[in-house]
Amino acid sequence: MAVLVRILLGALLCLIALPAAALEGSQILQKVDRNLEPESYESYRKLIDIQPDGTQRAYVLWTIKKGRDKILALFLEPASDKGRVTLRIGDNMWLYIPDVGKPIRITSLQSVTGSIFNNADILRIDYTAEYNVEKVEEQGNQYVLSLKAKTGEVAYDRLKMWVDKQQLLAVTIECYAASGLLLKTLHFSQVKDFGGGIKRPAMLETDSPLYKGYRSVMLWSGLKRATFPDEVFTLNYLPRIEELRK
Amino acid sequence: VKRLRRTRRGLPLLLVILSATAQAADEYSFEASEYAKKPFEFGGYAQLEQDHFALNPGSAFYKLAFYNGPQRENLDRATGILELTGKLRYGIGTFDFHTHSDVETDQLASDHSNQLFEAAYSIRPEPGITLEAGKRTLRWGKGYAWSPLGFVERPKDPNDPELAREGYWIADGDFIFNSEGPLQTIAFTPVLLPVRNNVNGDFGAAGYLNPAAKLYLLYHDTDVDFAWQGKGSRPARFGFDFSRNIVSNFEVHGEWARILGFTRPVTDSAGHVTNEVGNATSYLLGLRYLTAADTTYIAEYYHNGTGYSDGEARQFYQLVDTAYAQLQQSGNGALWQEALALGGGSYGRPNAGQDYVYFRAQQKDALGIVYFQPAIFAIMNRQDRSFQVTPELLYTGIKNLDLRFRLYLLHGHDLTDFGEKQNSRRVELYLRYYF
Repeated sequence: MAVLVRILLGALLCLIALPAAALEGSQILQKVDRNLEPESYESYRKLIDIQPDGTQRAYVLWTIKKGRDKILALFLEPASDKGRVTLRIGDNMWLYIPDVGKPIRITSLQSVTGSIFNNADILRIDYTAEYNVEKVEEQGNQYVLSLKAKTGEVAYDRLKMWVDKQQLLAVTIECYAASGLLLKTLHFSQVKDFGGGIKRPAMLETDSPLYKGYRSVMLWSGLKRATFPDEVFTLNYLPRIEELRK
Repeated sequence: VKRLRRTRRGLPLLLVILSATAQAADEYSFEASEYAKKPFEFGGYAQLEQDHFALNPGSAFYKLAFYNGPQRENLDRATGILELTGKLRYGIGTFDFHTHSDVETDQLASDHSNQLFEAAYSIRPEPGITLEAGKRTLRWGKGYAWSPLGFVERPKDPNDPELAREGYWIADGDFIFNSEGPLQTIAFTPVLLPVRNNVNGDFGAAGYLNPAAKLYLLYHDTDVDFAWQGKGSRPARFGFDFSRNIVSNFEVHGEWARILGFTRPVTDSAGHVTNEVGNATSYLLGLRYLTAADTTYIAEYYHNGTGYSDGEARQFYQLVDTAYAQLQQSGNGALWQEALALGGGSYGRPNAGQDYVYFRAQQKDALGIVYFQPAIFAIMNRQDRSFQVTPELLYTGIKNLDLRFRLYLLHGHDLTDFGEKQNSRRVELYLRYYF
């Protein structure tokens, strides 16, 4: 009887404790989202792909985001990719290539640059828009969040995110497929003050067990709050998107 | 003393780490200010291409092309292409242009051409409104290899659907509206296309100001377009298209178009031409699928309502054979002139048949080589079962340089679509440099 009472009490405690942990976790994730970027912003990014022999290829993108789920990136370099635009609205993604002219639908797992960063990494929307927090643990001065994708459309089924307790910024993120396979690891570094109260990592490195010896780096510059009309985030606007740039 | 020794031993290591960190910071330096928008931008590409054609001397289109010249088994052609693009921004307006120049030489002739693909001035009084006038390439429809909905554009080449194309002189607008809810975007694009003897002359009959319009909707994660072109230089037409990701790596698309009162010249093997007038329906269904191994498949089925059935095409090929034999034997060229006119018209356009299947498979980073993308695509005339298969190798590993190799293999019996093409094989190699 005593054992049964202990089990029931334990189960009750779990039921009480789980929502509290989940709530705290979602609050942490919301903070991480806002500390990484304002909800609406513009920024410049440089993507560098590094091959095992040290050969590098760089892409420069101008990115704008509005709200939780609208984001687009315009390629400024190299010349072979200049003018390309990728647009994401929620789970929908398109690629506009100037010569092809009409936007084609692309998937989150593809990479328009050919790097370890896929389209979901390049057109990342808020983590809270795509993931639920399943578990929060504490490891020294870091939280460890276990995240589960809200739908099957999300690029990674699960994320394990290490968050700096003091700054509430992501430090490391492991990305897993539904099968449990580790797809890649993201490492944030070089926390920088961008002005306007935005202080976040200026560098993100990634490596993947699927691409042994390859690395990709993403650098941020000119990140600032900015608002754009909804009309900008439409297929018809993509050929003219560069005209928005200052 | 021990602590000092340890510090001394650790000092070189610390210096190495600091040096490496500084080096990494330098290596990855990045300043947004270096990429500020300029009032004038200029770019483009230069391409050197070498082609080898294995000709098909018995075919209808070989005869039509080589009837008055030396007969050949093969042909080698060198081509240089220069495409220039530019933008000039001033106030709320932007002027942009795209030019195409090429020079080619083979054992028979040398030629060159300069074309203005696009040159238009556009203004945006508000973010959701754009008005423009000039030469512009519109691209309507969702198909990859074909676009039945491309009412006001020159047709794309299914062998290279991603190539830039020459536009038409038009005035057009773009009005975009956004809303919350399942209908997220509405965009309306009205177009006016004038045709005079020296303006858009190849669009159709001169003396018309042709209206056209497209309405785009993003509804419940599905792209939908409704398009219309009024009667004028060409018969009136209307249609719709759609595109949607069923799951994140699987996309389906389709187009449907109806042309009213389309005139189609149809010949028999004796050269009696009948102009058939009727409504024509074209449609396309397609898909794109990306595997976990980064292989992309594209498949499309295209019904061309204005095209020729295998029986009709066979009559034309027989006409060419008969007319050619007459020309050779008696020098009588009357029938030959008729065959030439039909071959240079609707029978000679690319993919003039009625039903085609397109299939393409491409593999990213194949054989562990980054930026190496082999592909293979096939186009088949479903009615006469003739086809073309094209393996392709593309390497983009050198900055701003594309290197592409293709082998076109055409297969078909006599009197079939791909069996009567000018060549039976083609080897293509090009080097394209972007600047």
